[in-house]
This record gives sequence, C-alpha cells and structure tokens, in this order.
Amino acid sequence: MHIPDGLIWPLIMLVGWGIGITAVAIAARKCSRSLTNERIPTMAILAAGIFVAQMLNFPIIGGTTGHLLGATLATLIVGPWAAIIVMSIVIVIQGLLFGDGGILAMGLNLANMAVVAVAVSAVFLRLLKGVGTEAAVIVASWFSVFIAALICAVELAVSDLAAPGAYGIVWSLSMPFMLGLYSVIAIGEAIITASVAKYFMLVHPGLIATAKSAPEASA
Amino acid sequence: MKAAGMCMKAAMAILFIFMIGALGYFAFSADGPDGLERTMENAGVAEHGSVYDAPLDYGEDYQAYLLTGVIGFVAVIAVSLFIAKMLAKKNETQPDR
Repeated sequence: MHIPDGLIWPLIMLVGWGIGITAVAIAARKCSRSLTNERIPTMAILAAGIFVAQMLNFPIIGGTTGHLLGATLATLIVGPWAAIIVMSIVIVIQGLLFGDGGILAMGLNLANMAVVAVAVSAVFLRLLKGVGTEAAVIVASWFSVFIAALICAVELAVSDLAAPGAYGIVWSLSMPFMLGLYSVIAIGEAIITASVAKYFMLVHPGLIATAKSAPEASA
Repeated sequence: MKAAGMCMKAAMAILFIFMIGALGYFAFSADGPDGLERTMENAGVAEHGSVYDAPLDYGEDYQAYLLTGVIGFVAVIAVSLFIAKMLAKKNETQPDR
C-alpha cells in the first residue's frame, strides 16, 4: 500500500504530510513522557521485524500479493504512540533507502500506514478488550488494513475528481479493487498477527502483559 | 545483559524466519503486484513522476533480497535505537509529574 510519487493530487499529499508530521510529533512527545530504557530494545526489534515482514509478500488471488502491515502488532506490543514511531521509522527507511513508496508521497504513506492503521488498531484493541486478546487482535488487524486501504482508495478517487487523467484513479475502479483486494490481504494480516501474538502469549507472556496495558498506559 | 542477549536471540530468530520466508516469497509472490499496484494496473495507471532515486533496491534474486533485508533490518534497528534513546533520555530528564 506504499503510494508512489505522481499518483496522488499534490494538495492531498500536502494534507498527508500535515497529518503524518503532526501525528509523529505528538507521538514523540507522548513517548518522551512515558518511554523507559527497558522498552527501547523491544521497539527496535519490533520495527526491524516489521521491516523484514513487509518484504515477504504472500499470494492472495489472481496473482496479486499482499504483505503484513504490522500496525496492530506494534500497537499490541508497545502501545499506540510508540507504534506510530515504530511504523514511521519503517516507512521512512523503506522510502529513503529502498525507494519503496514515493518521497513526496511519504507523508501520505505515514498518514495511512503509521497513523490511520495504528489508530484503528488501538480503537479495536480497546473496544474488544473484554472478548479476549486473540479475538481482539484478529478484528483489529483486519480492520487496520481494510480502513487504511479505504482511506487510500478515497485519496485515489478524490485525486481523480480534482485532476481527472493527471492524478488518481476513478472511484468506480479504485473503490472496488482496493477494498476487494485488501479485504483478502487483511485476512492474511489477521492470521499472521494473531499467530505472532499467540506465540508471544505462550513463550513470552510478559511482552503481551505489557501490551495489554500499553494502549491505556500510553494513551 | 540478559535483555541484550534476548534481543540478539530475537534478532537471529527474525532473520532466520526471513531467510525461510524469502524462499516462499520467490516461489510464489516475487512477480505479483500488491493490492495498490494491481489496482493501478487494472486502471491503466503507470508509475510516473518519481523525484528521488533510492540508493538501494530490494534485489532481483534470493541472495540480493536476503542481503538488502539484512541491511534494512540493521538500519531500522540503528535508527530505532537512536530515536528511542533520545525520547527515553528526554523522559528521564523531565521532572516527575
């Protein structure tokens, strides 16, 4: 879901930068009040793990592939504010070092994948706290990808409306394709995230115990 | 010291899973577009207007892919440690609330 340069109407990219930078600044401020030295290695390993996991595309339908986004996993383990930082580091390094996602579109990629996906994860993890971690993780990770894809589809559609033929993709194509494909990719996200969360619950329960309190603790 | 050992173990485990996963990636997914790329293909939209040439790409074969994966892994850890340490340092220097 890494948006390349030249696809989105410049004004929307500007809005993306505004949202991305503001959210990262707020997240950094929140983390600077709550982050302890003990959690630093967890954040670093989590970010690096998400980076390599995003390199491992899995096949879905008709030759299309998808990969883990990792926003729910990050939110579950380090809480939403630190998760925004973790996801942002991954997206910035992908863009600067590997050209994965455009430089001008990086603000929008931050907004979609580091802000929207993390916010959706945090909301669902909190709303479904009572039904058990596994169920909450499955629902949160599915919606984190689906809502991020929905926002991306809206950005494509609005770009087309603003500058038809120059930017974006007409809504009658962007909406069904993006939502159809990412509803399936989101199932992969839910399976992988739930499996990793289950593994941590079995072999490293302290990490999930921290995670359970993290969304509230750092909110 | 114990935490450092655990992190090293976790890093090794992640890279081992990446090595295995990359085999599956090259067997089943390497040539497939992702959801956004497929949407662009179906809409007849090509990538254009790139203003930046990245110094690296992910590589075309298994070995190159592994190498760039490890480079990215190390880069993300280094940047994350730097940023997280800066944030934690700020936290420690702030008066108790």
